[in-house]
Amino acid sequence: MEQHQKSVARTPPTSTIAQRKSKSIGYRQSYHSCLSATSRLGLTSALTVRRLNTTRRTPKSHNITDKVNPEHLSLLVKTEWQLSYVTPLYQFRHTQLRSYSRQLSAFIAAEKQQGLAVEVEGLHSSFRVLFSVVQGLSESDDDPETVLIQIHSKPLFGKQDEPQKPIWSGWLTCINGNSEYLRSLPEDFTCLPLFGSNGSEDLTSAVKSWFKQTFDCCFGPLEISNTNLQWLVALWTNCHREYDIQYLKMIWTLPVVPPLQVSYTVNSTDAWDLWNSVRQEMRAGEDEAENVNSIDIEEVIHFFEGLKNHFYRHFRLDLSGGSLNHISSALGSAKLSGRIKIAYSRYMITTLTLLTECALLKMPV
Amino acid sequence: MDDSIKRLLQRIIKRIPFEMLETTLEKWGRLTEAQRNSLDFTQSKWALTERLLAICEENEWSIKSITDLEMIYIIENPNLGMWNAFQLLDPDEGAHSVDLLQFKKQFKSHLSELIRHVSVKIKKHTDEAVWIRIAWGDNFSRPNHLKPTYVVHHLQTPYVFMTSLNSKLKPLLSQALILSTKHQTIKDANLRGRNLSSIRDLLMRQYQQEFPTKYPSPLAEKNQTLSNRHIEAEHAQAAANRHRMACEAFGRGTLPQLQSAVYKLETKFRDHTNKTMTEREEPFRCVVKFTSTNLLESFRHCASSGIASTPVSPLLSSVPSKGRNYFVVTDNGPGPTQLSQSQN
Repeated sequence: MEQHQKSVARTPPTSTIAQRKSKSIGYRQSYHSCLSATSRLGLTSALTVRRLNTTRRTPKSHNITDKVNPEHLSLLVKTEWQLSYVTPLYQFRHTQLRSYSRQLSAFIAAEKQQGLAVEVEGLHSSFRVLFSVVQGLSESDDDPETVLIQIHSKPLFGKQDEPQKPIWSGWLTCINGNSEYLRSLPEDFTCLPLFGSNGSEDLTSAVKSWFKQTFDCCFGPLEISNTNLQWLVALWTNCHREYDIQYLKMIWTLPVVPPLQVSYTVNSTDAWDLWNSVRQEMRAGEDEAENVNSIDIEEVIHFFEGLKNHFYRHFRLDLSGGSLNHISSALGSAKLSGRIKIAYSRYMITTLTLLTECALLKMPV
Repeated sequence: MDDSIKRLLQRIIKRIPFEMLETTLEKWGRLTEAQRNSLDFTQSKWALTERLLAICEENEWSIKSITDLEMIYIIENPNLGMWNAFQLLDPDEGAHSVDLLQFKKQFKSHLSELIRHVSVKIKKHTDEAVWIRIAWGDNFSRPNHLKPTYVVHHLQTPYVFMTSLNSKLKPLLSQALILSTKHQTIKDANLRGRNLSSIRDLLMRQYQQEFPTKYPSPLAEKNQTLSNRHIEAEHAQAAANRHRMACEAFGRGTLPQLQSAVYKLETKFRDHTNKTMTEREEPFRCVVKFTSTNLLESFRHCASSGIASTPVSPLLSSVPSKGRNYFVVTDNGPGPTQLSQSQN
């Protein structure tokens, strides 16, 4: 038993915290550069040094189906999106979407034409781009409206009258973006920092280059760090009170030869009980009504320590030595590589809020 | 000629990679000299298939000859499906003297008593393994040769390995097996893997094992000069210890290839920092699955690198020591950390 005690103490409980610290330094640096950039533009330097939030509001179920066109919503859910961050767009107008559709179709057609020896007749009509506003998919008043881009094309060897099929889609959004930052932007800039795409690499890079040329912005890959994956796990588990998340699955990869993958799937009720107990222990003596609507990073860390300790007690294997790279539940899935899938729309605002924050922090301005 | 024979031949040739086709056909040995010479292996596979189908018609090959070709290919390349291990229990008198001929006869007659339409082909491989190919039908339909079950059994051992077996047919096959090997029962050994020889080696303990020893290295001379390298030496010793314990648990050298291990945990959640959960009556239900290209080598590296603490958890070392990779873990024992592994 004594040995057992010791072994528990050996699971480094500080590793996540240590990791977090180093991460937040990194974020702070990127915000430093952001600060100097904004001041160079002669703007208010109201923006204080900011890091990843340590407290978040508990997820609320949103009647998103009432606000957002169900057709748009069905395009957003149940698809796996590859995420990127985008710097603010210069002179982007939500009123010009029609003209953007035309420009991007022409751009893609031109890109495809490069290297083609023969001019194919009617090439311009082979790609049809459609920009649209996803009405209602925004949270705070400062959030610009979400933009959805769809590309349709005729199959290469399809018949003449065959309808065009969607071959690529993507969106740009900003949910609960830091209002201080959004307000500090000059008028000509629109900030939609989170970009998700689904479709061929070629088209994604074509769309990105058109945006770069047209709106003087830049794109970069958005990875979902270990800490943010843990945040998502906690936020999703918290939803179990109202919606059965069915299971909670986490996959770690341990750096051994050959690499070892550990998938840890917890029964949703048991995960919720553990989460609830961590919340209660952490909040003992506090005014409950006041804090019930927020989640603290400490709670997330404790929750994961509980999960890891339970694992260690059986396998004497330290999960902190590996990296968490995939999480999923009935609400959706997220991967370290920046892929995300939303399976249940009512809590998508919470997920997108976290991701918007990640994108804003990742942005080098 | 029956269309189904041609279709089966076509399917098998499609499965066999192009570069292996010539040697496999040679081993099969049903082509005449002239026919063999008429096959041009610089041609496309499609053209070769057409030619073989023509030869098939010429020679009037039966379904039996075609299934023989499939067996030759599968025996040479067994690592294409998922193999399940089973263990025969309670041998009768005479179980040790079952020979191939007797087994063949018994197995075929028992199985055909249990199910009307079934086609069985038994072949002995060089390494003493008996390979059985079963094509199942039912009372109304003829055996489906496109979805055969393969069974591998080493005579006089209690292990049987099966691949692509429908759960409905499992009782029939089990029955025929225990009768023809003269055993009373058969049980799931809870071991699954893609590499047949690895799961066989694991069950039959045919890999380089290491046994615990009190003196892991030859006794050293005591009068070594003491230097400031004490700490280094200590670290080196700790590393050597971890390595030794890792090898004791999982073996040395190249280890049998397993792809995964699954643990269904239904144990109480115990954490001295979390009173609520520790006091909770119900077990904490979760499923842990480990996957790797060579699971045992990954485990060994975990232990020797320190990611897993030594001594190695009995749950992990149970994979090689018990030859299983599916466990249900519950708290049955009296002790606070006692874990018992029950069968599913």
